[in-house]
Amino acid sequence: MNINKSNPLLLHPLNKWMKKKKWFWFPHQIETFQHVRSGSDVVVFAPTGAGKTLTGFINPIDDLIKLKKIKGLHTLYISPLKSLANDIVRNLQKPIKDLNLNISFQVRTGDTTPYKKQKQKQKPPNILITTPESLALLNSYENAKEFFHNLKYIIIDEIHTFLDNKRADLLSLNIERLQTFSPNLQRIGLSATLKNKQDAKKWLCRKKPKIVSYENSVLPKIKILESKERIPWSGHMATYSINEIYKEIMKSKLTIIFVNTRAQAEYMFKNLWLINKKKLKIAVHHGSLEKNLRLKVENNLSKGLVDCVVATSSLELGLDYGDVEKIIQVGAPKGINRLLQRVGRSNHNLNTPSKAILVPTNRFEFIEAKAAIEEIKKNNLDKIDLKEGSFDVVAQHIFATACAGQFNINDLYEEIIKAYPYRNLNFNDFKALINLIQDGGYVLKNYDQFKRIFQLRENKNIYKLVNKRETRKYRMNVGTIIENPMLKIKLGTKTLGNIEEVFIQNLSQGDSFIFAGQVLEFQSMKNNLVQVKRSKSLISKIPSYSGGRMPLSTNLANSVRALLAKSNMWDLYPEQITEWLKRQKNISKIPKKDEYLVEQFPRKKNFYTVIYTFAGWHANQTLGFLLLRGFKEFNYKPLGFVANDYAIVLWSLKEVKEIKTILNLGLLDKHLDNYLEETSIVKRLFRDNAIISCIIERRLPGMEKTGKQVLFSSDLIYTVLKKNEPDHILLKSSYEDAKKNMIDYDRLREILKKIDKKIILKKLTSISPLAVPIILEINRENLSKKETDEYILEDLENEILKEANVLSIN
Amino acid sequence: MYYQLINFGDEEFYAYPNKSLYWKRLNTLIVSDLHIGKSMSYAKNKQFLPPYDTKEILNKIFVSLDKIKPSNLIIVGDLLHDVFSTLSLKDQDHKNLSKYMKNTDFIWIKGNHDKNIQMEGFKNFTDYRIDKFLFTHIPIETSSFQICGHYHPKVKISHRGKTIFKTCFVHNEKIFILPSFGILTGGLDINSKQISDILGQKNLSIYPLGQDKVYKL
Repeated sequence: MNINKSNPLLLHPLNKWMKKKKWFWFPHQIETFQHVRSGSDVVVFAPTGAGKTLTGFINPIDDLIKLKKIKGLHTLYISPLKSLANDIVRNLQKPIKDLNLNISFQVRTGDTTPYKKQKQKQKPPNILITTPESLALLNSYENAKEFFHNLKYIIIDEIHTFLDNKRADLLSLNIERLQTFSPNLQRIGLSATLKNKQDAKKWLCRKKPKIVSYENSVLPKIKILESKERIPWSGHMATYSINEIYKEIMKSKLTIIFVNTRAQAEYMFKNLWLINKKKLKIAVHHGSLEKNLRLKVENNLSKGLVDCVVATSSLELGLDYGDVEKIIQVGAPKGINRLLQRVGRSNHNLNTPSKAILVPTNRFEFIEAKAAIEEIKKNNLDKIDLKEGSFDVVAQHIFATACAGQFNINDLYEEIIKAYPYRNLNFNDFKALINLIQDGGYVLKNYDQFKRIFQLRENKNIYKLVNKRETRKYRMNVGTIIENPMLKIKLGTKTLGNIEEVFIQNLSQGDSFIFAGQVLEFQSMKNNLVQVKRSKSLISKIPSYSGGRMPLSTNLANSVRALLAKSNMWDLYPEQITEWLKRQKNISKIPKKDEYLVEQFPRKKNFYTVIYTFAGWHANQTLGFLLLRGFKEFNYKPLGFVANDYAIVLWSLKEVKEIKTILNLGLLDKHLDNYLEETSIVKRLFRDNAIISCIIERRLPGMEKTGKQVLFSSDLIYTVLKKNEPDHILLKSSYEDAKKNMIDYDRLREILKKIDKKIILKKLTSISPLAVPIILEINRENLSKKETDEYILEDLENEILKEANVLSIN
Repeated sequence: MYYQLINFGDEEFYAYPNKSLYWKRLNTLIVSDLHIGKSMSYAKNKQFLPPYDTKEILNKIFVSLDKIKPSNLIIVGDLLHDVFSTLSLKDQDHKNLSKYMKNTDFIWIKGNHDKNIQMEGFKNFTDYRIDKFLFTHIPIETSSFQICGHYHPKVKISHRGKTIFKTCFVHNEKIFILPSFGILTGGLDINSKQISDILGQKNLSIYPLGQDKVYKL
């Protein structure tokens, strides 16, 4: 780095420390410093290792040292993870201690003790490092205004993780609140590199918005694992390559193996352990493991005490594990940004490339891996779509506001619509959310005597909390992350972690399953604790975790399509892949990058239709359901469908003749409501919405159902509400969530808009090579839950009746 | 209406998918654990569940009464969720109730939730006997056949690798437990300690409820 003679940072309090360390200021640090000093809100884009954290603190530290009179809280630092917050404190400590600077800084998260929190409120530090949830809580205290009124800077770390989710909504509302408390507040966002930088700027910046960007010219070295084994047709477990993965671990000092789901993590870990002849130290890390187990792994990782960690996205963000030499990504990359984030976990030195190996677990994933490598070479990132703010988060925010004191609804509305996600929120919806918090907001005004907030008689625009006790309830419910009902797993007296209740319900005593890398036998469930013992069983189930599946990004999907069509590349692929594609070309067709191939063929008495959309799992799942309905309408007698990231296969009793008539935008408009109605998607999201908006209370550990009847089920509430008040704001909110998240509405719409002119229809006499992987995925009945239940009951009854007849004949 | 014939204590009962039980010989309809006004009671604690449960439960009852025209309606406890629940009954609801009470005796056996609450037109009992049958909210030590509620029974069914929970009627030789007739009420696994202490685990007759059918296991 060249040192600019006129570099203003040469006069910075930290300059001495930088010199001692023989470090230089980065150009983006200088630029940021100048912009912020002249009053701008700034988003800084820089890769890991480019002093990103320090960049955020340059102006705050300068102010704190040079303007000596500063009292109280001056700078707030928001981190997406608790663990990352602790890491920031450690990094900040070094220069401040070394230079003996008179700056106080502390961390405040869910893990901070009540005593410490109390002390912080009485005597706030100059710099507070915290999370969005803790910030929301701070804003709900009565003295929030005094606490924050001198706040000068808010730094949002890893801002790219805060753009497209409800946590981002919550944070945006609380930033606006801080701005009200302290109009001079300036905002600094720190981000990994992003395709749509302007969007991040719009989300965060208000005052003279500026983007500062530093691109790394050293590209990571990524290759696909060369395997002597054949890449399987389908599946997601990479069993074929386990020995080669093991060899790769042996070659490097420290390896992180990233997988896509918790189930894959457990499976990969178990398989590595079975062949671990060299007694390598291998660990597993995922979000369901007990916190202490996770911390232990993280600790061992940062100290270099392990050889390999198998991890999910739980290790994607943050902490510097300087010694990690190699990343192995098992399974589809799914998106460029995600892959880059993972690859960036190795080697935090800017001037040497990160190294990574991709292990496709099936043939389509091989193409996807190739495509991802190509896109990374071109630095073609995925766009992160900003979301419209969710209603339930506003409801929670209204409740928080009331906890802090009485408020004027017009002022609150004006403040909320300054937050970028809520710029389009209309007053009617806002008022409905006020009513929701007041008494549930039902048309029947039944709950008048039980209101949570009420209007002052002398001024109807002022709302006030009925009593202080409600603040406790808000504090128990704060946050936007809702876990599925989980149960604690106990091995003896030791807690191993949490497992989804749904999984346990499917187990019987004596069944074995893998968790935390061990084979365990289910013994009993008492008081919501799952008691297990170690097992030697070789047959074991893998817990499923519903959150694990994320769809292929549009960007990468386009790249996969383009690559598939490039037949001149095929000869560079492993023989079996080349062979597979060539045969497809001969028997059917390889679609061009803007074509949609549809194949139809008879198979085992049924008629199959395969549509290659490359639309990602969510959109394909939705399309499958819609087509099922469309086929029914045309009386093709459809029996079921299966979808993956690339394609959909439907099978029916009759030949589907009018596919071009059915497959278009009309399909979406006509059947979407029915689809949402029949599947449990909206129902599931309704539960989250009801909890986030504090209509039903969060089930916290320790206050779970105490063996008595379940209090009530959110399914029942949904059904009753839907029937009686279909326009209720909570239903509207759940429906919007479904459109955005689970069904990929916009993406599907884009595809269907133009699909009819681009369908290439191939009528075949039998299954095509390209269709084999998805046909292999057909292993489950695809009926709605309601139908499945009925089917199980009927089937069981028939079996019992049959048994009874046999007995009576004998 | 579809029903499942259940033989209990040498009498024939009809189990309906709407969670009611009909004793044809005595033209008596039996329901349990309606928990009317549960939403109102939750609202007191600021959990604002949709306030439509009372309306829906009453409608369900009225539809049954219109179809079956029983001489007696026996409610085996927990008609109301708590004292606040009466607030959820509107004038019109009371009027409708009195209309039906002209042709049907409303026999209200008190449960743990509604012990000390009164409502006009209902005949209150702590338990009620017809021949060898004792109607009571929670089963007691007796040699009689008992028809009860309280537990909101559900059955866990694992079949072909899938597991579902279904609301059910369940009885052993002497004790019959009705499902909850309520709208926002949850359920309890019949294998739980609370229920198996009462019914045991062997020789149970279980009748899970489907969409519009009552099954027999």
